[in-house]
Formats: sequence, structure tokens, C-alpha cells
Amino acid sequence: MAVKQMQYVVIGASAAGMAAAEAIRKLDSQGSIIVLSEEQDMPYFRPMVPFIINGKKKFPEMMLIGQGPYQGANIGVRLDSRVKAVNTAEQKVSIKSGEELLYDKLLVATGSLPNIPSDIKGVEAEGVFVLRTIADARAIARRAETARHAVMLGGGLLNLKAAFALLERGLDVTLIVKSPNVLSRLMEPDDTVLIREALNKAGMKLMTGSNVTQILSDSTGVIGVLLESGREIACQMVCIGKGIRANVEFLDKSGILVDQGVVVDKFTRSNIQNVFAAGDVAVTFDPITGERIVTGLWTNAAEMGNCAGRNMAGQPSIYSGTFGILNATQVADEPFVSMGIVHTKGTDYETHIRATPKTYRKLVFTPDGTRLVGALFIGDISKAGLYRYIIRERMPVKDIKSDIVNHRLHYGYFLR
Amino acid sequence: MSQSKEIFVRLDRCVGCHTCKIACSVEHSKSKNLFEAISEQPTPKTRVYVEWVPPDRKVPILCRHCEDAPCMHACISGAISRTEEGIVITNSDKCIGCWTCVMVCPYGVIGRHLETRKAYRCDRCPDIQSPACVDACPTQALVYRSVAAFSGDVRQDVAREMVSGEGR
Ligand SMILES: Cc1cc2nc3c(=O)[nH]c(=O)nc-3n(C[C@H](O)[C@H](O)[C@H](O)COP(=O)(O)OP(=O)(O)OC[C@H]3O[C@@H](n4cnc5c(N)ncnc54)[C@H](O)[C@@H]3O)c2cc1C
Ligand code: SF4
Ligand code: SF4
Repeated sequence: MAVKQMQYVVIGASAAGMAAAEAIRKLDSQGSIIVLSEEQDMPYFRPMVPFIINGKKKFPEMMLIGQGPYQGANIGVRLDSRVKAVNTAEQKVSIKSGEELLYDKLLVATGSLPNIPSDIKGVEAEGVFVLRTIADARAIARRAETARHAVMLGGGLLNLKAAFALLERGLDVTLIVKSPNVLSRLMEPDDTVLIREALNKAGMKLMTGSNVTQILSDSTGVIGVLLESGREIACQMVCIGKGIRANVEFLDKSGILVDQGVVVDKFTRSNIQNVFAAGDVAVTFDPITGERIVTGLWTNAAEMGNCAGRNMAGQPSIYSGTFGILNATQVADEPFVSMGIVHTKGTDYETHIRATPKTYRKLVFTPDGTRLVGALFIGDISKAGLYRYIIRERMPVKDIKSDIVNHRLHYGYFLR
Repeated sequence: MSQSKEIFVRLDRCVGCHTCKIACSVEHSKSKNLFEAISEQPTPKTRVYVEWVPPDRKVPILCRHCEDAPCMHACISGAISRTEEGIVITNSDKCIGCWTCVMVCPYGVIGRHLETRKAYRCDRCPDIQSPACVDACPTQALVYRSVAAFSGDVRQDVAREMVSGEGR
């Protein structure tokens, strides 16, 4: 019996889209897989874009195909192919060139876009940047050739990474943050002592509790920023890192249900037959809190894409959700991991904190103390994966609780 | 294709002597010689760990080169890949020290070179016939065999069951 060759179309050629394409190819060796990207560059590891700013890596070292799980066999990637609209009734997408592509299964994996707050004036000036794509990074690097002082708006992880990259290039960098501390999504003010020390030591200027209302510019582009307090700070470039939002505008008339992002069921399927979504663009849920979340994480996008790919190729796979917070990174010399529930002020969660001059550990248990729900490690992050596992599987912790709190846990405990 | 081999742990035999750790560090040193390895910078690191479970159990723990390895899918720089022999390896030239793999490995077996900001783990000793830890173990608590050859034996399967919830 001749089986019709499946047409898979994936919009987005990054973590989610490429992981899905790999998963489809593993299960369906015959089907046609087309992955569309609006960017001009071949797929790359997006979290590496700061290396273009500090000059530590060149683009070829960041390319995705051929690395790790991304082998790219028989997957057609089409660049510079922005999708303008999706017609779910006729199962086709239209690309900016005017071409239309028919699909049997469609994946929306268009990621997210940087948020630009509407209450900051002057954002159109030359020298105002966001960091998302490799093209953004190149533009930032170009401006940094002549700029001496960069002002960063927002204290999230992405902006911190951009800030360090500029610092490493030799610029003066001032980070202006509205909230009382940096990384407020990943930790509470009291948790940030070591991180703030690390920022200071690295030479970053930090202004918390401050807000920029206007970016000042003349014919040379940015010349400064104006604070709410009326104070002006001279600078030649500004980077805005004020969160992200799902990249969904092109779905407006498609009938695909969007609420913060594309809403999917546990099989990563949207409300429309044969349309799936994964990665930053999809709304998922946190298995601990049950809350709907948009995660903005590479790790999550790859895992969800993998799951979506299997579902598209006909192998039902359940996506088990992810933590809203699941970050590992290093800020200056301070490695840290933040996962699950770490904001405990004013809640009943049972919280254990152990601080030394060099390390900080916060472990968060349910109010009745029977389950681990969150962990923050700064300085010493060894074996963090074990803790993630305990949180994710909602394991009763009674026998090992003191080992968890005192950082004595190891895999041997699970072999009993 | 020949059946690929794995390192199995016979928990009842481990006496906690840490010989495997020393052998591993030496094999991953520049000189591959104990006396010189001690003074090398950065200090050679072991990739096998011997943990203690109260009251008196000793447990050697090392990378299991998982099927569908969570660390490999999570890595944000493409530094982790699987070789043709099925071994999951970290390419330290590509590693950017983001520690995402440390955050996702459910066995806690990825180490961090703080000096160089690189992640490291068991590579099954590509330069020698059988892994250094296996050869060094005086009680043969570590064995290097194909899964089929080992399966009649006391195989510790708990580990696999533990990752079955990984969702991939
Ligand atoms: C500087 C920086 C550092 C980061 N660091 C980390 C980190 O350390 N750890 C971590 O987990 N995450 C990190 N992230 C987040 C991570 O990069 C994202 O979560 C991840 O890239 C999301 O993958 P995605 O596949 O969902 O979408 P994206 O990576 O956003 O890719 C979207 C894709 O869709 C394409 N596209 C968009 N719209 C269209 C359209 N209309 N038509 C056709 N194609 C379209 C784009 O060209 C692109 O290929 C970082 C992000 C940045 C920017
Ligand atoms: S490092 Fe951990 S997750 Fe990766 S293959 Fe080894 S045991 Fe599995
Ligand atoms: S620490 Fe290195 S190997 Fe581990 S996830 Fe980060 S880049 Fe990949």
C-alpha cells in the first residue's frame, strides 16, 4: 500500500523547531520536513549570542546543525522566510515572498520577542538595542566599537549577560534596575548578596530602585538617559532587557488560540487540528503550582520541541510541563542554580537557608515540610540535578531531608 | 555492530577504598602518572565518585551515558554529543561553563573545572582498552561488560527506573 508522504512544516529554526525536526526525522524517514526561519543566519545556539559582543567566539562556533543532538539529516531549513499568516482551514502558511506552503502537520516555534515598555520615551534613537538575535549582537558590537559607556535597563539574566559582554569589551557599564535587586525573577533581595558582590568586583555599576523615563539622543544617536529623579546619565548606548513576550502576532487571523502564548494541551497540540506549538511561544504549565507559564528557556524549548515532534510524527508523547524557574548560569565568578519556588517572603513555605562567605543555599519545602518545591544554590551548585529530580517527581523527602538541607545528598540514597 | 559495553556497579562488593577515584584522576591527568599528577595544575579530577550511605554502605557513582541523555538535550552550546560507541561526551572546547548540564543530570555526576570553567564527566577512557576505574578496583565492584552479558547477574536497575520519568 502506498502511504502518502507527510508534509511537516515547522515555523522557527531554533531550539524548539530544530529539536522537533530531529524527533520527526527519527520516527518518519520519508516525510518532508521544512523548517522556516525569518533570520538570515543558519540556526545557532541563541544563548551564545553574547559571545559575538565580547568577541570571544565567531558565528561558525555557535552554529547548531551538526552539534549535540542536532544532526540535521534530511531536514530542509529555509532562511529569510518570514511567515506572514497561517490559514488553518486550508492547512497552509504564506511566506513573505508570497509563496504558500501546504502542511499536514504544523509546528509553531517562533519563540519570543523582547518587551519594550511603552513608558520609556526615545527608544527609536540610534544606539538603543535589545539582545535577541545574532543580528542584534552584531549591531551591539558595532556600536560598542566607539561607545565608552553603556546603560542597561533591566536586571534580568539576559541583560546581565549582555552587560558582562560589554564590560569584557572594555566599556563602562551601568545597570539600572527598577526593583530593589537584580535577578528579581530568580531570587529574593536577601538572596543576592553574593551576586551583588560579584557584580561590584567585576566593575559593574548598579543602580537599583531607579527608573529611566527617557533616552536622550542627537544626530550621533544616544547621548544619555533621564531618570525619574530628574538626574541625567551620559552614555552612548542603551540595552533594554525588560522581559519577553511570545511571538504570536502573525497568528492573529488563524483561529489558533492565544493567551499570553499559544495555548497547548499536554500533547503540545493547539486548539486547531494538526497545529502544535513548542518553546518560548507556547504556554505551558508548572507541575508544582499548576500555573500557566511562558518559560523563556532553551532547555525547555528543546525538550518541548522534542515532544511536539514525536506527537506530530504520530507517537503520542505527553509533555509533563516544566518549572517556571529553571536557570543555571554563572555571573562573574559566581555560579548559581535557581529552580522551582524560590520566592518565599510572606508565604508559609518551610524555608532553610545556609549561608557562608562563599556559598548560599536556600531550600524550600511545602508548608507541611514533606516535599521539596524549590532550590537556590549560589557558589556551590554541585549535584543540582538531583534536587531538580526530587522537586519534579514530588518525592516524599522524609528520610533524606536533613541530607538535602545540609548538602549531603547524592545518588546513593536512591539505591536503598 | 558489536554490543556496546557499560560499566556496572556491584554494590555488595564496594569497600569504599577510593582506588577507582585515584585511577580515574591519573588517567585524566597530563602525565598519566600518579606522582606527577599530584602536582599538576589544574589538579586532575576524578569522574567517578564514591559516596557513603548511612549506616555503612559505599556506592560508586558515575555517568550512565543515558539513552536520550538529558544533559545532551539541555546543553545550550552543543558541547555534549554521543559517539558512535554510544558514549556521551562533553567537548570542552565548545563548553561555555553555563552549568545547565549540572542542573539536569539526575545522577549528579558532572563535575566543574573551576579554573577553566568547563564541565567534565566520565568519558569511558577512550585511550585504553577498559576504563581505568574498572581495572583498578581491587574487589571487582566495577565491571565493564555488555548489557546482555551482565543481565543474569545482580544488576542494579533502580537507576534506570529513576530516570524513566525524564519524559524523553
Ligand atoms: C542573550 C540570551 C541568553 C540566553 N541564555 C539562556 C540560558 O543561559 N539558558 C537558557 O535556558 N535559555 C537562555 N536564553 C533563552 C533561550 O535562548 C530561548 O528560550 C530559546 O532560544 C527559545 O527557543 P525557541 O525555539 O522557542 O525560539 P527562538 O530561539 O526565539 O527562535 C525563534 C525562531 O523562529 C523564527 N521566527 C520567528 N518568527 C517567525 C516568523 N514569523 N516566520 C518564520 N520564522 C520566524 C526565528 O527566526 C527563529 O528561528 C537566552 C536568550 C538570549 C537572547
Ligand atoms: S551526565 Fe548524567 S544525564 Fe548525562 S548521560 Fe551521564 S548520567 Fe545521564
Ligand atoms: S556547562 Fe558546558 S557542557 Fe554543560 S550545558 Fe553548559 S555548555 Fe553544555
